[in-house]
Amino acid sequence: MRWLTDPLALPFMQRALLATLLLAVAAGLLGTWIVLRRLAFFAHAVGTATFPGLVVAGPWGIAPPLAALGAGLGFAGLLARMTRRGVTSADAATGLLLTAALALGAILASDVYRSGAGVDRLLFGTLLGLGDGDVALAAGAAAAAVAATAALARTWLATGFDPAGAAALGIRAARGDWLLLALLAVTVVAVLPAVGALLVSTLLVVPAATARLLTESLGALLAAAVALAAFQGVAGLLLAYHLDLPPGPAIAVIGGGGFALAALGSSLRRAR
Amino acid sequence: MSAAVEVAGLSAGYGNGAIALRDVSFTATAGQAVAVLGPNGGGKTTLFRALLGELPAATGSIDLVGMPAYVPQTERSRLDFPVSALDVALMGAYARTPWYRRIAGSDHALARAALERVGLTDRAGLRFGALSGGQRQRVLIARALVQDAGVLLLDEPFAGVDRTSEEAIMQILDELRAEGRVMLIATHDVEQARRWDQVLCLAGSQIAYGPPVDTLTNAVLEGTYGEEIVMLDCGHRAVAIQHHSH
Repeated sequence: MRWLTDPLALPFMQRALLATLLLAVAAGLLGTWIVLRRLAFFAHAVGTATFPGLVVAGPWGIAPPLAALGAGLGFAGLLARMTRRGVTSADAATGLLLTAALALGAILASDVYRSGAGVDRLLFGTLLGLGDGDVALAAGAAAAAVAATAALARTWLATGFDPAGAAALGIRAARGDWLLLALLAVTVVAVLPAVGALLVSTLLVVPAATARLLTESLGALLAAAVALAAFQGVAGLLLAYHLDLPPGPAIAVIGGGGFALAALGSSLRRAR
Repeated sequence: MSAAVEVAGLSAGYGNGAIALRDVSFTATAGQAVAVLGPNGGGKTTLFRALLGELPAATGSIDLVGMPAYVPQTERSRLDFPVSALDVALMGAYARTPWYRRIAGSDHALARAALERVGLTDRAGLRFGALSGGQRQRVLIARALVQDAGVLLLDEPFAGVDRTSEEAIMQILDELRAEGRVMLIATHDVEQARRWDQVLCLAGSQIAYGPPVDTLTNAVLEGTYGEEIVMLDCGHRAVAIQHHSH
């Protein structure tokens, strides 16, 4: 058991563990709604779009979460404008804007602000070097996700299930959708310090997508997504400690492996 | 229960100012079933959305008893969603359940009773998407029963429905009529429209309104469907051919 107890005796590992569990609650719950509403690619793109914001945060003296939020909202605004004007389809516009954000961030980091080694941290996170503010943000996002799921589950379920008929059920669909997007932004920003701009989906999409393969009831889906996010987070953290890997990518690899196993299991079950 | 729908001089359209439907006037009294007949794009959906309060009336007025219930086409809903037939029926109780409360036990009983009424008690726990098209349609009718609306708006309730479900749906609609509820049934099928008490023909504007026997004349059908009409049976019966673009 020393492989488990030794690392967890270290203060920075305890902090990383706490943050991982809080983020698992936030990302597992919200990720379930994101996957059900088919917003996974959008969520991934919002995460990536925060990169230029994170690059300029230091040199401009802005708090990184605020800079990330600004960049993410800018992305969402541009996307809405492009889609509404019929410039191109929503998924093509999303792909285009996320590439542009990544390129802009890379140029700003390499040629304007000379961020150097910091770029890795912004793209892939630094779960082992989190500050108090990061943990507090994770706690806030977890609380918001629990409260919103308790209060809005019916609204989100009915709207996602039957968008055309939801309003006739007396449901305030538009308000629910705005709250979902706002919460998505908050959760992305909370997840960034741990897994970085490129690996947001590791916590926000992968556990919920895996859970979708395992169960068909909403309650079980929410619980399974949180449990899977927590498991892959803790396992990734230990793997990173023992093998000296960056924790964000370690979590991503375990999450991807979990999804592959679940997909294999579900196709074997269907074949029988 | 007694309910009525009174629409006078209604025009309605979408955000850009374009009017999709104009000059609609009709009255449906308690217990009447009204077929809303017309081609795709003829204004059936626009009329329903105006009756639901989702589109403002550009001109004219709508007088309804209570909030109507809407029964959409089943393929409009997400069939991969993690909801059971019972979950969908329970959605009919969402409007009267405050966000901080659980759904009341009495509403659970109501939802089970509604599923029993549409003959799906043994399917209550199954995933909505795993049911047949006709069974899904019956679940959506059960949801409207849980809403307990005096006015029901049904969008092509017989489209893609198997024979057993069609008979079950006809029976339940007859029962609802006997309870004094008003039903508006959108259809593009002339034969279907002949079954109901009144028929409202729409093709961008109101072509005719009245009992099917008097209303569904060749002239009215030509006005409703234009060149899409095909006359059969020596012009005595007409069948509308829909040109679907896929």
